[in-house]
Amino acid sequence: MKKISNKNAQMNISFGWLFAIIVGAVILFLAILLATKVIKIGQSEEQAVGAKEFGILLNPLETGFESASSTPLQLRVETKIYNKCSPSGNFGKQGIQTSELSFNKWSALGVESSFENKYLFSKYPTQGKKFYIFSKPFEFPFKVSDLIYLTSENEKYCFDNAPEDIADELSQINQANLAADCLNADAETIKICFNKNCDIRVYYNEGYVQKGPDTLSFEGDSLMYAAIFSDKDIYECQVERLLKRTKQLAEIYKEKDLLLSPRNCKTDLGADLDLLISNLENAQDYKVISSVSELIEEIKNKNKYADCELW
Amino acid sequence: MVKNKAQMKIQQMAFMLIAVMIFFALVGLLILSVGFSGLKEKATALQEKNAILLVSKLANSPEFSCPEKTNCIDLDKIMALKNNINNYKTNKDKNFWGVSNIEIIKIYPGGKFIECNSESYPNCNTLKLISEKTTGITAENFVSLCRKEYDSENYLTYDKCELGKILVKYEKIQ
Repeated sequence: MKKISNKNAQMNISFGWLFAIIVGAVILFLAILLATKVIKIGQSEEQAVGAKEFGILLNPLETGFESASSTPLQLRVETKIYNKCSPSGNFGKQGIQTSELSFNKWSALGVESSFENKYLFSKYPTQGKKFYIFSKPFEFPFKVSDLIYLTSENEKYCFDNAPEDIADELSQINQANLAADCLNADAETIKICFNKNCDIRVYYNEGYVQKGPDTLSFEGDSLMYAAIFSDKDIYECQVERLLKRTKQLAEIYKEKDLLLSPRNCKTDLGADLDLLISNLENAQDYKVISSVSELIEEIKNKNKYADCELW
Repeated sequence: MVKNKAQMKIQQMAFMLIAVMIFFALVGLLILSVGFSGLKEKATALQEKNAILLVSKLANSPEFSCPEKTNCIDLDKIMALKNNINNYKTNKDKNFWGVSNIEIIKIYPGGKFIECNSESYPNCNTLKLISEKTTGITAENFVSLCRKEYDSENYLTYDKCELGKILVKYEKIQ
Protein backbone atom coordinates (compact mmCIF):
# COMPACT_ATOMS: atom_id res chain seq x y z
CA MET A 1 0.00 0.00 0.00
CA LYS A 2 2.86 2.35 0.90
CA LYS A 3 4.58 1.51 -2.37
CA ILE A 4 1.52 2.52 -4.46
CA SER A 5 1.17 5.84 -2.63
CA ASN A 6 4.86 6.69 -3.34
CA LYS A 7 4.34 5.96 -7.04
CA ASN A 8 1.30 8.31 -7.09
CA ALA A 9 3.34 11.07 -5.43
CA GLN A 10 6.12 10.64 -8.03
CA MET A 11 3.51 10.84 -10.85
CA ASN A 12 2.02 14.00 -9.30
CA ILE A 13 5.38 15.78 -9.00
CA SER A 14 6.41 14.96 -12.54
CA PHE A 15 3.01 16.13 -13.91
CA GLY A 16 3.36 19.36 -11.92
CA TRP A 17 6.81 19.97 -13.37
CA LEU A 18 5.63 19.13 -16.87
CA PHE A 19 2.69 21.50 -16.53
CA ALA A 20 4.91 24.29 -15.21
CA ILE A 21 7.48 23.80 -18.00
CA ILE A 22 4.82 23.85 -20.76
CA VAL A 23 3.01 26.91 -19.39
CA GLY A 24 6.33 28.62 -18.61
CA ALA A 25 7.49 27.99 -22.19
CA VAL A 26 4.22 29.42 -23.54
CA ILE A 27 4.63 32.53 -21.35
CA LEU A 28 8.24 32.98 -22.43
CA PHE A 29 7.28 32.51 -26.09
CA LEU A 30 4.48 35.10 -25.78
CA ALA A 31 6.79 37.52 -23.96
CA ILE A 32 9.51 37.19 -26.65
CA LEU A 33 6.87 37.56 -29.40
CA LEU A 34 5.51 40.70 -27.73
CA ALA A 35 8.98 42.13 -27.22
CA THR A 36 9.96 41.58 -30.89
CA LYS A 37 6.62 43.06 -32.03
CA VAL A 38 7.15 46.11 -29.79
CA ILE A 39 10.70 46.54 -31.11
CA LYS A 40 9.48 46.20 -34.73
CA ILE A 41 6.65 48.71 -34.14
CA GLY A 42 9.17 51.07 -32.51
CA GLN A 43 11.55 50.68 -35.45
CA SER A 44 8.87 51.30 -38.08
CA GLU A 45 7.58 54.26 -35.98
CA GLU A 46 11.10 55.75 -35.99
CA GLN A 47 11.35 55.24 -39.75
CA ALA A 48 7.90 56.73 -40.40
CA VAL A 49 8.73 59.75 -38.22
CA GLY A 50 12.10 60.08 -39.97
CA ALA A 51 10.53 59.95 -43.45
CA LYS A 52 7.84 62.49 -42.49
CA GLU A 53 10.42 64.75 -40.84
CA PHE A 54 12.62 64.54 -43.92
CA GLY A 55 9.68 65.63 -46.11
CA ILE A 56 8.80 68.47 -43.73
CA LEU A 57 12.40 69.69 -43.72
CA LEU A 58 12.09 70.13 -47.48
CA ASN A 59 9.51 72.94 -46.93
CA PRO A 60 12.11 75.71 -46.43
CA LEU A 61 13.55 74.89 -49.85
CA GLU A 62 10.83 76.98 -51.52
CA THR A 63 13.37 79.49 -52.77
CA GLY A 64 11.39 82.59 -53.74
CA PHE A 65 13.69 84.32 -56.23
CA GLU A 66 17.01 82.75 -55.24
CA SER A 67 18.52 80.81 -58.13
CA ALA A 68 19.62 77.65 -56.31
CA SER A 69 20.52 76.62 -52.78
CA SER A 70 22.09 73.59 -51.07
CA THR A 71 21.64 72.15 -47.57
CA PRO A 72 23.46 69.20 -45.94
CA LEU A 73 21.49 66.57 -44.01
CA GLN A 74 23.32 64.47 -41.43
CA LEU A 75 21.54 61.32 -40.17
CA ARG A 76 22.27 59.23 -37.05
CA VAL A 77 22.88 55.97 -38.89
CA GLU A 78 23.57 54.74 -42.41
CA THR A 79 20.20 55.05 -44.19
CA LYS A 80 18.67 54.14 -47.53
CA ILE A 81 16.13 56.72 -48.74
CA TYR A 82 13.60 55.34 -51.22
CA ASN A 83 12.13 58.02 -53.45
CA LYS A 84 8.66 56.89 -54.58
CA CYS A 85 6.63 58.68 -57.22
CA SER A 86 3.10 58.11 -58.41
CA PRO A 87 1.64 60.19 -61.27
CA SER A 88 -2.05 59.39 -60.61
CA GLY A 89 -4.55 62.05 -59.50
CA ASN A 90 -4.52 65.82 -60.13
CA PHE A 91 -0.95 66.25 -58.89
CA GLY A 92 0.45 62.76 -58.39
CA LYS A 93 2.23 61.87 -55.20
CA GLN A 94 5.76 62.02 -53.76
CA GLY A 95 6.47 59.18 -51.33
CA ILE A 96 9.45 58.76 -49.04
CA GLN A 97 10.44 55.52 -47.30
CA THR A 98 13.57 54.77 -45.33
CA SER A 99 15.49 51.73 -44.19
CA GLU A 100 18.21 51.93 -41.55
CA LEU A 101 21.32 49.83 -41.05
CA SER A 102 21.26 48.23 -37.62
CA PHE A 103 23.58 45.42 -36.48
CA ASN A 104 24.86 45.13 -40.06
CA LYS A 105 21.35 44.38 -41.39
CA TRP A 106 19.00 46.66 -43.31
CA SER A 107 15.68 47.07 -41.53
CA ALA A 108 12.42 46.47 -43.41
CA LEU A 109 11.03 49.52 -45.24
CA GLY A 110 9.21 51.91 -42.92
CA VAL A 111 5.73 53.36 -43.47
CA GLU A 112 5.60 55.56 -46.57
CA SER A 113 5.22 59.25 -45.95
CA SER A 114 3.57 61.04 -48.86
CA PHE A 115 3.37 64.65 -50.08
CA GLU A 116 1.59 66.17 -53.04
CA ASN A 117 3.54 69.43 -53.22
CA LYS A 118 7.10 68.10 -53.42
CA TYR A 119 9.26 66.91 -56.31
CA LEU A 120 12.31 64.94 -55.25
CA PHE A 121 14.90 63.73 -57.76
CA SER A 122 17.35 61.04 -56.66
CA LYS A 123 18.59 57.53 -57.28
CA TYR A 124 16.38 54.65 -56.10
CA PRO A 125 17.48 54.13 -53.37
CA THR A 126 20.13 56.63 -52.35
CA GLN A 127 22.28 55.45 -49.47
CA GLY A 128 24.48 57.20 -46.92
CA LYS A 129 24.79 58.87 -43.55
CA LYS A 130 25.18 62.37 -44.92
CA PHE A 131 23.05 63.68 -47.77
CA TYR A 132 23.00 66.90 -49.75
CA ILE A 133 19.76 68.56 -50.76
CA PHE A 134 19.99 71.08 -53.55
CA SER A 135 16.98 72.92 -54.97
CA LYS A 136 16.28 75.00 -58.05
CA PRO A 137 13.03 76.51 -59.40
CA PHE A 138 11.41 75.00 -62.50
CA GLU A 139 9.76 77.58 -64.76
CA PHE A 140 7.53 76.48 -67.63
CA PRO A 141 6.99 79.42 -68.48
CA PHE A 142 5.82 80.50 -64.98
CA LYS A 143 7.34 79.06 -61.83
CA VAL A 144 5.84 75.60 -61.29
CA SER A 145 7.78 74.40 -58.27
CA ASP A 146 11.19 74.10 -56.70
CA LEU A 147 12.83 70.86 -57.74
CA ILE A 148 14.76 69.08 -55.01
CA TYR A 149 17.83 67.02 -55.87
CA LEU A 150 18.93 64.52 -53.23
CA THR A 151 22.41 63.03 -53.41
CA SER A 152 24.42 61.13 -50.82
CA GLU A 153 27.99 61.98 -49.84
CA ASN A 154 28.98 58.66 -51.47
CA GLU A 155 27.85 59.89 -54.88
CA LYS A 156 30.39 62.31 -56.35
CA TYR A 157 29.84 64.18 -59.59
CA CYS A 158 32.03 66.41 -61.72
CA PHE A 159 30.95 68.55 -64.67
CA ASP A 160 33.37 68.57 -67.59
CA ASN A 161 33.25 71.58 -69.93
CA ALA A 162 29.92 72.79 -68.56
CA PRO A 163 28.51 76.06 -69.97
CA GLU A 164 29.78 79.06 -68.02
CA ASP A 165 26.55 79.81 -66.14
CA ILE A 166 26.25 76.19 -64.95
CA ALA A 167 29.89 76.08 -63.83
CA ASP A 168 29.38 79.39 -61.98
CA GLU A 169 26.21 78.11 -60.33
CA LEU A 170 27.95 74.91 -59.17
CA SER A 171 30.84 76.92 -57.70
CA GLN A 172 28.33 79.20 -55.97
CA ILE A 173 26.34 76.28 -54.47
CA ASN A 174 29.60 74.93 -53.01
CA GLN A 175 28.24 71.42 -52.41
CA ALA A 176 30.99 68.98 -51.35
CA ASN A 177 30.02 66.20 -53.78
CA LEU A 178 29.63 68.43 -56.86
CA ALA A 179 32.68 69.76 -58.72
CA ALA A 180 32.45 72.41 -61.43
CA ASP A 181 35.31 70.70 -63.36
CA CYS A 182 36.84 67.21 -63.58
CA LEU A 183 40.51 68.17 -63.13
CA ASN A 184 40.91 66.45 -59.73
CA ALA A 185 38.27 63.74 -60.21
CA ASP A 186 39.03 60.24 -58.87
CA ALA A 187 37.91 56.95 -60.44
CA GLU A 188 34.68 56.80 -58.37
CA THR A 189 33.48 60.23 -59.45
CA ILE A 190 30.67 60.22 -62.02
CA LYS A 191 31.77 62.37 -64.95
CA ILE A 192 29.17 64.54 -66.66
CA CYS A 193 30.41 65.75 -70.02
CA PHE A 194 28.97 68.38 -72.33
CA ASN A 195 31.09 67.81 -75.43
CA LYS A 196 32.28 64.19 -75.32
CA ASN A 197 31.03 60.77 -74.25
CA CYS A 198 31.56 59.77 -70.61
CA ASP A 199 29.41 58.40 -67.72
CA ILE A 200 26.64 60.92 -68.42
CA ARG A 201 26.55 62.96 -71.63
CA VAL A 202 24.53 66.18 -71.71
CA TYR A 203 23.39 67.40 -75.13
CA TYR A 204 22.71 70.87 -73.77
CA ASN A 205 21.49 72.64 -76.92
CA GLU A 206 19.51 69.63 -78.13
CA GLY A 207 17.85 69.27 -74.70
CA TYR A 208 18.56 65.70 -73.68
CA VAL A 209 20.77 63.68 -71.37
CA GLN A 210 22.27 60.31 -72.32
CA LYS A 211 22.80 57.94 -69.36
CA GLY A 212 23.88 54.55 -70.65
CA PRO A 213 20.98 53.28 -72.77
CA ASP A 214 18.52 55.88 -71.41
CA THR A 215 17.75 59.19 -73.09
CA LEU A 216 16.04 61.78 -70.93
CA SER A 217 14.63 64.95 -72.52
CA PHE A 218 14.78 68.21 -70.58
CA GLU A 219 13.79 71.87 -70.85
CA GLY A 220 15.79 74.34 -68.80
CA ASP A 221 18.67 73.87 -66.36
CA SER A 222 16.53 72.68 -63.44
CA LEU A 223 15.29 69.66 -65.42
CA MET A 224 18.81 69.04 -66.73
CA TYR A 225 20.05 68.61 -63.14
CA ALA A 226 17.00 66.41 -62.44
CA ALA A 227 17.86 64.14 -65.39
CA ILE A 228 21.49 63.91 -64.21
CA PHE A 229 20.82 63.12 -60.54
CA SER A 230 17.79 60.82 -60.76
CA ASP A 231 16.90 57.42 -62.16
CA LYS A 232 14.92 57.27 -65.41
CA ASP A 233 11.63 56.09 -63.86
CA ILE A 234 11.70 58.71 -61.13
CA TYR A 235 12.57 61.45 -63.62
CA GLU A 236 9.75 60.56 -66.02
CA CYS A 237 7.18 60.28 -63.23
CA GLN A 238 8.20 63.55 -61.55
CA VAL A 239 8.14 65.45 -64.86
CA GLU A 240 4.64 64.09 -65.50
CA ARG A 241 3.63 65.38 -62.05
CA LEU A 242 5.20 68.77 -62.80
CA LEU A 243 3.23 68.99 -66.04
CA LYS A 244 0.02 68.26 -64.13
CA ARG A 245 0.78 71.17 -61.80
CA THR A 246 1.68 73.34 -64.82
CA LYS A 247 -1.80 72.64 -66.22
CA GLN A 248 -3.49 73.60 -62.93
CA LEU A 249 -1.42 76.80 -62.71
CA ALA A 250 -2.25 77.65 -66.34
CA GLU A 251 -5.97 77.38 -65.42
CA ILE A 252 -5.39 79.78 -62.51
CA TYR A 253 -3.50 82.30 -64.70
CA LYS A 254 -6.24 82.08 -67.34
CA GLU A 255 -8.81 82.94 -64.67
CA LYS A 256 -6.59 85.73 -63.30
CA ASP A 257 -6.38 87.12 -66.85
CA LEU A 258 -10.20 87.26 -67.02
CA LEU A 259 -10.34 88.89 -63.58
CA LEU A 260 -7.86 91.60 -64.58
CA SER A 261 -9.28 92.54 -67.98
CA PRO A 262 -12.06 94.83 -66.57
CA ARG A 263 -9.28 96.74 -64.71
CA ASN A 264 -7.69 97.84 -67.98
CA CYS A 265 -5.09 95.13 -67.59
CA LYS A 266 -4.95 93.14 -70.80
CA THR A 267 -2.40 90.42 -71.46
CA ASP A 268 -3.61 88.68 -74.65
CA LEU A 269 -2.52 85.36 -73.11
CA GLY A 270 -5.87 83.59 -72.80
CA ALA A 271 -5.73 81.70 -76.13
CA ASP A 272 -2.11 80.63 -75.61
CA LEU A 273 -2.85 79.37 -72.12
CA ASP A 274 -5.81 77.44 -73.51
CA LEU A 275 -3.55 75.86 -76.11
CA LEU A 276 -0.98 74.96 -73.44
CA ILE A 277 -3.71 73.39 -71.26
CA SER A 278 -5.06 71.29 -74.15
CA ASN A 279 -1.52 70.19 -75.14
CA LEU A 280 -0.81 69.08 -71.59
CA GLU A 281 -4.19 67.37 -71.26
CA ASN A 282 -3.66 65.34 -74.43
CA ALA A 283 -0.02 64.51 -73.73
CA GLN A 284 0.91 60.83 -74.02
CA ASP A 285 4.02 61.11 -71.85
CA TYR A 286 6.48 63.57 -70.34
CA LYS A 287 8.20 64.17 -73.72
CA VAL A 288 5.52 66.78 -74.46
CA ILE A 289 7.90 69.24 -72.73
CA SER A 290 9.98 69.32 -75.91
CA SER A 291 7.04 69.68 -78.29
CA VAL A 292 5.51 72.65 -76.41
CA SER A 293 8.82 74.49 -75.95
CA GLU A 294 8.07 77.02 -78.73
CA LEU A 295 4.63 77.77 -77.26
CA ILE A 296 6.23 78.19 -73.84
CA GLU A 297 8.73 80.68 -75.26
CA GLU A 298 5.89 82.61 -76.94
CA ILE A 299 3.84 82.74 -73.72
CA LYS A 300 6.92 83.86 -71.79
CA ASN A 301 7.57 86.75 -74.20
CA LYS A 302 3.90 87.81 -74.35
CA ASN A 303 3.78 87.97 -70.54
CA LYS A 304 7.04 89.92 -70.39
CA TYR A 305 5.76 92.64 -72.72
CA ALA A 306 2.12 92.66 -71.53
CA ASP A 307 0.50 95.75 -69.88
CA CYS A 308 0.15 93.69 -66.69
CA GLU A 309 2.36 90.69 -66.07
CA LEU A 310 0.40 87.64 -64.94
CA TRP A 311 3.42 86.15 -63.13
CA MET B 1 -4.99 12.39 1.45
CA VAL B 2 -1.78 12.47 -0.63
CA LYS B 3 -3.84 12.65 -3.83
CA ASN B 4 -5.82 15.64 -2.47
CA LYS B 5 -2.61 17.43 -1.52
CA ALA B 6 -1.15 16.94 -5.00
CA GLN B 7 -4.36 18.20 -6.64
CA MET B 8 -4.23 21.22 -4.36
CA LYS B 9 -0.64 21.92 -5.49
CA ILE B 10 -1.61 21.70 -9.14
CA GLN B 11 -4.51 24.08 -8.54
CA GLN B 12 -2.18 26.49 -6.72
CA MET B 13 0.28 26.40 -9.59
CA ALA B 14 -2.45 26.89 -12.20
CA PHE B 15 -3.77 29.94 -10.35
CA MET B 16 -0.24 31.27 -9.98
CA LEU B 17 0.43 30.83 -13.69
CA ILE B 18 -2.84 32.55 -14.61
CA ALA B 19 -1.88 35.42 -12.30
CA VAL B 20 1.59 35.63 -13.90
CA MET B 21 0.03 35.66 -17.40
CA ILE B 22 -2.43 38.40 -16.42
CA PHE B 23 0.46 40.37 -14.91
CA PHE B 24 2.50 40.12 -18.14
CA ALA B 25 -0.53 41.00 -20.25
CA LEU B 26 -1.14 44.11 -18.12
CA VAL B 27 2.54 45.13 -18.34
CA GLY B 28 2.36 44.62 -22.14
CA LEU B 29 -0.76 46.77 -22.40
CA LEU B 30 0.88 49.47 -20.27
CA ILE B 31 3.98 49.53 -22.52
CA LEU B 32 1.81 49.69 -25.65
CA SER B 33 -0.41 52.48 -24.30
CA VAL B 34 2.63 54.54 -23.20
CA GLY B 35 4.22 53.92 -26.62
CA PHE B 36 1.12 54.94 -28.56
CA SER B 37 0.48 58.06 -26.48
CA GLY B 38 4.03 59.12 -27.37
CA LEU B 39 3.27 58.39 -31.02
CA LYS B 40 0.26 60.74 -31.00
CA GLU B 41 2.40 63.49 -29.45
CA LYS B 42 5.08 62.90 -32.08
CA ALA B 43 2.49 63.03 -34.89
CA THR B 44 1.05 66.32 -33.54
CA ALA B 45 4.57 67.76 -33.16
CA LEU B 46 5.29 66.82 -36.78
CA GLN B 47 2.01 68.46 -37.90
CA GLU B 48 3.02 71.59 -35.97
CA LYS B 49 6.49 71.62 -37.51
CA ASN B 50 5.00 71.14 -40.98
CA ALA B 51 2.50 73.99 -40.46
CA ILE B 52 5.17 76.40 -39.14
CA LEU B 53 7.60 75.68 -41.97
CA LEU B 54 4.82 75.68 -44.56
CA VAL B 55 3.31 79.00 -43.46
CA SER B 56 6.73 80.68 -43.55
CA LYS B 57 7.24 79.69 -47.20
CA LEU B 58 3.70 79.35 -48.56
CA ALA B 59 3.63 82.93 -49.85
CA ASN B 60 6.55 82.05 -52.17
CA SER B 61 4.83 79.04 -53.71
CA PRO B 62 3.57 79.55 -57.30
CA GLU B 63 -0.14 79.44 -56.39
CA PHE B 64 0.28 82.38 -53.96
CA SER B 65 3.29 84.47 -55.05
CA CYS B 66 3.26 87.97 -56.54
CA PRO B 67 5.20 88.76 -59.72
CA GLU B 68 8.74 89.80 -58.73
CA LYS B 69 8.12 90.15 -54.99
CA THR B 70 8.98 87.83 -52.12
CA ASN B 71 6.78 87.09 -49.10
CA CYS B 72 3.87 88.59 -50.99
CA ILE B 73 0.48 87.09 -51.84
CA ASP B 74 -1.17 87.97 -55.14
CA LEU B 75 -4.83 88.38 -54.15
CA ASP B 76 -6.05 88.32 -57.77
CA LYS B 77 -4.35 84.96 -58.22
CA ILE B 78 -5.77 83.72 -54.93
CA MET B 79 -9.31 84.62 -56.06
CA ALA B 80 -8.68 82.60 -59.23
CA LEU B 81 -7.29 79.78 -57.08
CA LYS B 82 -10.37 79.93 -54.83
CA ASN B 83 -12.55 79.30 -57.88
CA ASN B 84 -10.38 76.27 -58.78
CA ILE B 85 -9.85 75.01 -55.24
CA ASN B 86 -11.69 71.73 -55.86
CA ASN B 87 -8.85 70.68 -58.17
CA TYR B 88 -6.50 71.06 -55.18
CA LYS B 89 -8.54 68.73 -52.99
CA THR B 90 -6.96 65.35 -53.48
CA ASN B 91 -9.56 63.33 -51.56
CA LYS B 92 -12.33 63.83 -49.00
CA ASP B 93 -10.25 65.43 -46.25
CA LYS B 94 -6.85 65.89 -47.87
CA ASN B 95 -5.56 68.69 -50.01
CA PHE B 96 -2.45 69.62 -51.95
CA TRP B 97 -0.78 71.35 -48.99
CA GLY B 98 -1.73 68.71 -46.38
CA VAL B 99 -3.26 71.14 -43.84
CA SER B 100 -6.88 71.55 -42.74
CA ASN B 101 -7.27 75.34 -43.12
CA ILE B 102 -5.63 78.13 -45.09
CA GLU B 103 -6.92 81.64 -44.44
CA ILE B 104 -5.68 85.07 -45.50
CA ILE B 105 -6.60 88.10 -43.40
CA LYS B 106 -6.04 91.77 -44.23
CA ILE B 107 -4.84 93.48 -41.02
CA TYR B 108 -4.02 96.99 -42.25
CA PRO B 109 -6.06 98.99 -43.11
CA GLY B 110 -8.52 97.29 -40.75
CA GLY B 111 -12.29 97.13 -41.02
CA LYS B 112 -15.25 95.01 -40.06
CA PHE B 113 -15.30 91.32 -41.07
CA ILE B 114 -16.25 90.82 -44.71
CA GLU B 115 -15.48 87.46 -46.28
CA CYS B 116 -14.02 87.56 -49.79
CA ASN B 117 -16.05 86.04 -52.61
CA SER B 118 -16.63 86.98 -56.23
CA GLU B 119 -19.20 89.62 -55.19
CA SER B 120 -17.36 91.25 -52.28
CA TYR B 121 -13.80 91.19 -53.74
CA PRO B 122 -11.74 93.41 -53.42
CA ASN B 123 -13.74 95.21 -50.68
CA CYS B 124 -13.27 92.44 -48.13
CA ASN B 125 -10.73 91.43 -45.52
CA THR B 126 -10.88 87.67 -44.93
CA LEU B 127 -10.31 85.03 -47.56
CA LYS B 128 -10.94 81.43 -46.60
CA LEU B 129 -9.14 79.31 -49.13
CA ILE B 130 -9.46 75.92 -47.44
CA SER B 131 -11.73 75.47 -44.44
CA GLU B 132 -12.13 71.76 -43.82
CA LYS B 133 -11.98 71.83 -40.00
CA THR B 134 -12.96 74.68 -37.69
CA THR B 135 -10.88 73.44 -34.74
CA GLY B 136 -7.14 72.97 -34.64
CA ILE B 137 -3.90 74.76 -33.90
CA THR B 138 -2.91 77.75 -36.00
CA ALA B 139 0.47 78.84 -37.37
CA GLU B 140 0.66 82.29 -38.94
CA ASN B 141 2.97 84.60 -40.84
CA PHE B 142 2.86 88.27 -41.86
CA VAL B 143 2.76 88.92 -45.61
CA SER B 144 2.07 91.68 -48.12
CA LEU B 145 -1.24 91.36 -49.94
CA CYS B 146 -1.07 92.87 -53.43
CA ARG B 147 -3.61 93.26 -56.22
CA LYS B 148 -3.98 95.25 -59.44
CA GLU B 149 -6.00 98.48 -59.17
CA TYR B 150 -7.08 100.83 -61.92
CA ASP B 151 -6.69 104.55 -61.34
CA SER B 152 -9.44 106.01 -63.57
CA GLU B 153 -8.25 109.61 -63.04
CA ASN B 154 -4.74 108.99 -64.33
CA TYR B 155 -5.72 106.05 -66.59
CA LEU B 156 -3.13 103.70 -65.18
CA THR B 157 -3.02 100.33 -63.50
CA TYR B 158 -0.87 99.94 -60.40
CA ASP B 159 -0.11 97.37 -57.66
CA LYS B 160 -2.02 98.10 -54.47
CA CYS B 161 -0.34 96.40 -51.49
CA GLU B 162 -1.63 96.08 -47.93
CA LEU B 163 -0.48 94.30 -44.78
CA GLY B 164 -1.92 90.90 -44.05
CA LYS B 165 -1.49 87.56 -42.37
CA ILE B 166 -1.62 84.03 -43.68
CA LEU B 167 -2.94 81.44 -41.26
CA VAL B 168 -2.47 77.70 -41.60
CA LYS B 169 -4.44 75.43 -39.29
CA TYR B 170 -3.51 71.86 -38.55
CA GLU B 171 -5.50 69.26 -36.68
CA LYS B 172 -4.36 68.04 -33.25
CA ILE B 173 -4.32 64.23 -33.25
CA GLN B 174 -6.61 63.00 -30.44
